[in-house]
Amino acid sequence: MILRTILGGTALACIAGAGAAQELNALVWCDHTDDALIEPFEQEHGVTVNLREYEGTGAALALLDQSRPGDWDVMVIDGIDVFRAVEAGYLAELPVDELPTGDFFPEVVMEANNVVDGKTYAVTEKFGYNTISFNSDKVDPADMDDLAAVWSEKYDGRLSIYDYYLPVMGLAAIAEGIPTAEIGADNLETIGGTLSDMRARAASVAGVVAAQTALATGEVDIVVGGGEWLTAVLAEERPELTWTIPEQGAVRWAQSIGVVEGSENPDLALEFVKYIVSPEGQARLATSSCFWGMPANARAGEILTDEQKAVLRWDDQPDYLSRTQLYPAPDADLDIEMQDLWLETLQQ
Amino acid sequence: MSRAIPWAYLALMFGFIYLPVGALVLFSFQDGTLPVPPFEGPSLRWYADVLGDEDLTAALLNSLLVAVGSSAVAVTLGFLAAYGLARFVLPGAALLRALLIAPMTVSYLIVGLGLLIVIQRIGLPLSLLTAGIGHAVINLPLAFAIIYASMGGQQQNAERAARDLGAGEIAVLRLVTVPMLAPAILAAFFLSVTLSWDEFIVAFLLTRFDVTLPVEIWSMLRSGLSPRLNAIGSVVFLISVAAVVLAELLVFRRRR
Amino acid sequence: MTGTRAGWGFVAPALIWTLAFFVLPFAVMGAMSLATLDGRTLVWGLSLSNYAELAEKAYLWRAVVVSLEITLTVTALSVLLAYPLAWIIAYRVPERWQRLALLLAILPFWTSYVVRSYAWLLVLSREGVVNQALIGLGLTAEPVTLANTRLATVTGFVHFFVMLLTLTIYANLRQLSPNYRRAAMDLGANAVQTFRHVILPLTLPGIVTGAFLTFVLCIGDYITPQILGGNTELTVPQVIMVQLGRRADFPLASALALVLMALVTLAYLAGARWLRVDRL
Repeated sequence: MILRTILGGTALACIAGAGAAQELNALVWCDHTDDALIEPFEQEHGVTVNLREYEGTGAALALLDQSRPGDWDVMVIDGIDVFRAVEAGYLAELPVDELPTGDFFPEVVMEANNVVDGKTYAVTEKFGYNTISFNSDKVDPADMDDLAAVWSEKYDGRLSIYDYYLPVMGLAAIAEGIPTAEIGADNLETIGGTLSDMRARAASVAGVVAAQTALATGEVDIVVGGGEWLTAVLAEERPELTWTIPEQGAVRWAQSIGVVEGSENPDLALEFVKYIVSPEGQARLATSSCFWGMPANARAGEILTDEQKAVLRWDDQPDYLSRTQLYPAPDADLDIEMQDLWLETLQQ
Repeated sequence: MSRAIPWAYLALMFGFIYLPVGALVLFSFQDGTLPVPPFEGPSLRWYADVLGDEDLTAALLNSLLVAVGSSAVAVTLGFLAAYGLARFVLPGAALLRALLIAPMTVSYLIVGLGLLIVIQRIGLPLSLLTAGIGHAVINLPLAFAIIYASMGGQQQNAERAARDLGAGEIAVLRLVTVPMLAPAILAAFFLSVTLSWDEFIVAFLLTRFDVTLPVEIWSMLRSGLSPRLNAIGSVVFLISVAAVVLAELLVFRRRR
Repeated sequence: MTGTRAGWGFVAPALIWTLAFFVLPFAVMGAMSLATLDGRTLVWGLSLSNYAELAEKAYLWRAVVVSLEITLTVTALSVLLAYPLAWIIAYRVPERWQRLALLLAILPFWTSYVVRSYAWLLVLSREGVVNQALIGLGLTAEPVTLANTRLATVTGFVHFFVMLLTLTIYANLRQLSPNYRRAAMDLGANAVQTFRHVILPLTLPGIVTGAFLTFVLCIGDYITPQILGGNTELTVPQVIMVQLGRRADFPLASALALVLMALVTLAYLAGARWLRVDRL
């Protein structure tokens, strides 16, 4: 009986492993796991898309290090880290003339990031902001326009910090007048001081759900590092939970997608990338169940509804784009220093 | 007055134990999109949502597969080892017992991390199979300990009698030992299934595309606040409680 | 003797399994903890730099302290809360209701473990049941911050381990012959003396075994502090997961895992006199 169960179990596992004819293995962020986004592609091409979520670029690269060539076909990656994947030889060149970058918001084409030595390796698919989310019933919205006021005495214990070091340290730098592109070993101390002030005022350092719970239950009234991706899903029921971009500016995040070098299905992989940056794919990605964000392709605006565009603040984008700076993009050594400083500050 | 104290304590502790479960189940019936007070409802919309989610149902089946498969391996190996150690005089038996028990004294995170490193070095793909191997490692000591503890003299006499009547080693095992130890074997199997079914960190580290339910729930939890979490939590609770009650009625009742 | 060979035959599968999937990974992890990362390239060697880092970087050794503080608090609180509960079920609840009472006391054990922590987050929030009760009882005018604190982590843990310990301590108490209690009473001992000199020593192995299990499971847990703790202090498993998830720094993660293992070993040695791990 037990033996039969084992045999049955392995047989089942084998069947499950065999599966459909053509498969696409994609290393993605959680917003790509929405069936509403993936299924139309699967049906159109009669294929299966296997999705694996990952947390940080370091983990994704390590996963690729340990995989065999051909294991992966498509990869979503933080826009600022594209160069790291290219350096490691994990991204294949994309045929730039087949991609609709001409329809993109010009600021997010990000050639400096996606193009290395004249070759395009990735294309921006989605962007948004790490800024200040807050409860407009509980705090003075005017205060939220000034970063220094956000973590001032007045809001002691009423704010939460988003649990990701890059955007939050970027905000700290912006508050100190340091452009995010110029963050380096020499000004980390200044940033650390601001981070420390922020941490001293904070009730918690929270991931997405914890931050949303804290905002929705009134545990905190401000989330530093929040943005549309945090409050958009709450907006329907709690319109008072909103976000703004302070005078000093804020951090802009962007994610890119590319074809993995050595893919066994390069054509299908390219089709997938094209689908994601097409107006239809872009509209679905922008409103995917995990988190909302602005589509890189402006023509997605033809498909998104007015309500969706209102939540995404479509019409404010020119202003926001001009006032925000890209995520800090540290090299490997600086990255470790920044992470250490971050963890050190949390553990104070 | 002093007679009431134990009962008051009992009530208080039961309140503590059921507090999170109560809140969880209550807000699974929330009509709004946020599982926080005030309670609006009741509504079944989140149950419909969760039960219609293919990823969740697939994860549920994966969990079941991993739990049953890994428990079968753990119990089989555990039983054979218990039999070998209880019935034969082996040099270094104490050391062997300690070695087999050892994984129980190690945090799951460590077991998972060690396996992850080895699997990646070998270049094996991560899958439900690797998660199952991890779970069998965790559950083997437990299964062994439970079955070993219940191997007493009375079975040995029956085994001897069977052997005297000409039964071979395998026949003795199959016809005498296993049936006599059935309650312990079932208890070990049931406990293994329970632990594997709800195990997170090993499954999280050792799976890739197909994931188990706790890992799927964890990704849900990272992606946003929603009463869906309450609904899936309540469904899992219901399934588990049904299994526990069934086991209690069928297996453990008989043992007394 | 053929018997010995047959015996080895029975033990071999489990032994090979344990060696291949437990001992070998453990050894590789040990070797990994002595390796270093050069950029993203793994360099095998015999470097103690990962352990040195542990001593140098305050957030790493602070994590060890935080983990120990939380685990010891949880273990002590869980035993203190579970023992009376198990006692009442074993000696106050009528015989025919005992199994039911015990089952009810451990039933929430089977809520999904990830969801259980999340449920505590809702219960402990400012608008949650606990705060409403506190306000209702007039104990506080304003809601108190409970979620995202160490208190929340400890509460989540204690909830789980009280159930586990109630089960093990109950089993222990039931194994005691009632004659011990009767004899002690007959010899003139009062209830307190009977407990201190008779019941407690006899149930100590069970308590210590349960406490050790609590220690092992608690100190290695990632979910509960991650969901409930508010990240204002990090435990060792949280720091390990940061190394894995964001940096893919397997050498440092391995070194931290071995430190965790050392703490468990210390706990084992502390309780070794009474531990009966093979007789759970």
